[in-house]
Amino acid sequence: PPQLSNWTFTTPLDDTTTSQMADGSSKLEKLFAHPLYNIQIPPLGPEESLLQVEQLNEYYMKKVSHWERHMKLYKEVAVLSNITVKLHEMTYDPDASWLNFHLGINRYALYSRDDPAVLQLLKDMSNLTIVNADYTQDEKALKGACDCTQVVKPSGHHLKLALKLRNFAKAMFKPMRQQRDEETPEDFFYFVDFQRHNAEIAAFHLDRILDFRRVPPVAGRIVNVSGEVLQVTINDDLRAVFFTSPANNTCFFAKCLYVCKTEYAVCGNPDMLEGSLAAYLPGLSIAPRLSIPNPWTRSYSFTGRQEWEVNPFFCDAIKQLHPYNSGNRLLNIIDMSIFDFLIGNMDRHHYEIFTKFGDEGFLLHLDNARGFGKHSKDEMSILAPLSQCCMIKRSTLLRLQLLAQPEFRLSDVMMESLKTDLLRPVLTKPHLLALDRRLQKVLRTVHRCVRRFGKEEVITSDFIKPTAKT
Amino acid sequence: MILFRKFRVLLLMVFLIACTMHIMIDLLPKLEKRAAGADSAGSGCQCAHHPGSEAQGWGKQRGRAADAGWPNKHTLRILQDFSNEPGSNLTSHSLEKSAANGDKESGRGSRPAAGTEEQRRRTLIGEASGARTVTARGVSRLSALFEHPLYKTDLPALTDDDTLFNVNSDIRLYPKTTDGNEDDSSPMTESTPESYPNWLRFHIGINRYELYPRHGHVLDALLKDLATQRITSVAMKSGGTQLKLIMTFQNYGQALFKPMKQTREQETPPDFFYFSDFERHNAEVAAFHLDRILDFRRVPPVAGRLVNMTREIRDVTRDKKLWRTFFISPANNVCFYGECSYYCSTEHALCGKPDQIEGSVAAFLPDLNLAKRKTWRNPWRRSYHKRKKAEWEVDPDYCDEVKQTPPYDRGSRLLDVMDMTIFDFLMGNMDRHHYETFEKFGNDTFIIHLDNGRGFGKHSHDELSILVPLSQCCRVKRSTYLRLQLLAKEEYQLSSIMEESLLRDRLSPLLIQPHLQAMDRRLQLVLQVLAGCIKKEGYANVVEEDLAGDKGGV
Repeated sequence: PPQLSNWTFTTPLDDTTTSQMADGSSKLEKLFAHPLYNIQIPPLGPEESLLQVEQLNEYYMKKVSHWERHMKLYKEVAVLSNITVKLHEMTYDPDASWLNFHLGINRYALYSRDDPAVLQLLKDMSNLTIVNADYTQDEKALKGACDCTQVVKPSGHHLKLALKLRNFAKAMFKPMRQQRDEETPEDFFYFVDFQRHNAEIAAFHLDRILDFRRVPPVAGRIVNVSGEVLQVTINDDLRAVFFTSPANNTCFFAKCLYVCKTEYAVCGNPDMLEGSLAAYLPGLSIAPRLSIPNPWTRSYSFTGRQEWEVNPFFCDAIKQLHPYNSGNRLLNIIDMSIFDFLIGNMDRHHYEIFTKFGDEGFLLHLDNARGFGKHSKDEMSILAPLSQCCMIKRSTLLRLQLLAQPEFRLSDVMMESLKTDLLRPVLTKPHLLALDRRLQKVLRTVHRCVRRFGKEEVITSDFIKPTAKT
Repeated sequence: MILFRKFRVLLLMVFLIACTMHIMIDLLPKLEKRAAGADSAGSGCQCAHHPGSEAQGWGKQRGRAADAGWPNKHTLRILQDFSNEPGSNLTSHSLEKSAANGDKESGRGSRPAAGTEEQRRRTLIGEASGARTVTARGVSRLSALFEHPLYKTDLPALTDDDTLFNVNSDIRLYPKTTDGNEDDSSPMTESTPESYPNWLRFHIGINRYELYPRHGHVLDALLKDLATQRITSVAMKSGGTQLKLIMTFQNYGQALFKPMKQTREQETPPDFFYFSDFERHNAEVAAFHLDRILDFRRVPPVAGRLVNMTREIRDVTRDKKLWRTFFISPANNVCFYGECSYYCSTEHALCGKPDQIEGSVAAFLPDLNLAKRKTWRNPWRRSYHKRKKAEWEVDPDYCDEVKQTPPYDRGSRLLDVMDMTIFDFLMGNMDRHHYETFEKFGNDTFIIHLDNGRGFGKHSHDELSILVPLSQCCRVKRSTYLRLQLLAKEEYQLSSIMEESLLRDRLSPLLIQPHLQAMDRRLQLVLQVLAGCIKKEGYANVVEEDLAGDKGGV
């Protein structure tokens, strides 16, 4: 049972489970109306936006003409080799939601709080026609080679697909692998855990509620795997992994995991399959990103231990190192660790940043599918950056404290937010309640730090002011 | 020469004492209870009864016993109990004698109708082997079944050509039994077959018609050995699709270990193909019992066993590949995954709790060098392909073709395949791609039902395609048909008899109720198919008389 500290604004969990206040208003709306969620960022200079309109339009036109050329060629081949492929008409829409999402990315966040493009993008992803399906780049990068002896499977091994929507938007599809009420088996290491589609969806909503806005939009969708994947793909390898199961369901599998006999296929019922669609970020050619190892990464072996797991003063060493010795980077890492702790994601080995914003940019919280695996266990080691460094952004702390109050309780606002998704309920009740419990543990960790080092040392004013920019 | 003789006598004595002690261990709880029942002064004196002289006199013996893996303390207690229980010596001897007698009798199949006497003996043996006593109600349907005339048919007289080994000449080929003085059985190598280790007696007992006789001490003793003997080494079996371990015991017997992969309640997911299904340890054990209840006796003995992964697998294996895959899980359990082509990865690691793992231990058949086996492709083999169909699935007259092809055109082979079909259907095993026979017996012999781990996967589904050989050929042995009818009767209900039989295993309950009930349902389906055949083609054309010489019992 969660133990409550008497330091923060906490009240014991009561039985009111509705997200609605007594007067019928929405907790989520009230949260977003709170002054803490209305701090304005300074006006953006051109250098502070990720992409310029002309640049993106040019990129977009190039993609469109490439696609049309490709499809024309493919049609000829398909006729010759007698393959039937559903070909959809594409619509060129210069005001598409995904374009506006890409244009809205700036140095502070992936999207702004009231950006209508994000809501529209979520809607588009959950209902626009899928016109093409293919393997993702990291699976293609393996070039069909499967090394079954690897204990830690490279990300290309996992089953995910790149889907293209009618308006040229791209989304990453992760199919359902586990029932909502299934927990990760206790003997599973973090690096063999399942990828959960509902964790992807819930992580996006949590990130938005925490006002981080560092997770690309994710929407749930029930996909017809034969009509919307098999019949629209022009990749022969992908078509080859489809089959009909003895129960007459359409199934497909991740080639390497299947070859290595570590995983069976995912199957529709008979064709319909739940999954998450995560919006793609702008292509690496126009918005290059850096992938940086997390200093608090795990050993990814059965026995190995990392330095941070044995050395309580690990953070002192990190604080001396570039880029953690200046600016907001370390505070951003701590934000990320709080986020990961709340969702229970132990698999954060790397984080990404946009090269354009340099060391001052925010961290992208990509790939959260291994969160929300165990509601009955709080993995305190994920919080090591916070508990070892004893630093937290004032804005983050204030929001966490707000979300611990009964009128904005995290589980309630999460539940309300997740109701907007097609795949509701995305999270079971125990997972929602675990969020409240874990939030208390974060606050208690901060409290312990404050007792040791004092408020001034621990709670850092950030409020967007970059420290290096003078 | 004199020295050697002396040595032999000494070893003989040592062996006899070891045997007695072995039985004593099993009787120990009983004795303790009895001792406690006596007056308290007597039981208090029990532990202090001149320990000095006793220990000295048995010093050598104790050393040996310790070598054999018994804890010293335990041995001492046995000796003390032994010295204080005048009756126990006698009891154990008579028990052994009667067991040995029973075995001798049953060696040739038929037994005198000494029902109650036999039953009493059997229960005694059952208790001694640590198995649970039969049913709570006190009425054993299983013994009633085995008392039925249908289970008392004679084997034809056996000649040297009908036994797998000629005891006098072939047995010396077993090199392992003639070396090593530590072995329990080694002093007796020049003695009678009754003193061979149980696995060897099992091998000697194999004949043209059966893997083991219906009754007899050897089977019970072998099952007990499989479940309790100290494991001296472990190796991975190569070639198989899923992970199997070869275990070698203290008495040089070997067995195949299949670890638990699924819980009893788990069903095979509906989208799994038969060839990607898991192998289940409880299916192996249950298949052995079912085969015995059907009176086929074509499955090598299998027992369930709780194995300590650290002490009994990791610490005794010399297989680096296996050893390397051991790790400690986040929940602090010992896990390993081995090396094989199916499900040998961290995602499918087998974890103990914290280091105990369940598994099935199947007795090895005689070494292929001594008793060659022939592998036959099952004519009704599945395609093992996700999209392709096998010939028998599209051709309704497939059996006519098979009937023309040797060896199915004569002898009892086709009927044996029908037996196997019924056996597989009752378990729901779709993975019977091959079967084996002993080469020595040619084509006139039974077929061995090996590898039953893919049975008992779905209790809610009856896979009718397994019965296709039966419905296409419409042939069955009369003995099988009569036994199936018997097992469909209320008082011999297959599910209750299976349940009772499985209670004897250490891992019981091995099958959950829905699986047991599914067998009754499937039995009805088999009988329906046969009734349909008889209606269509006439009784004489479907049911093959194989009880000709033994009409009296039926």
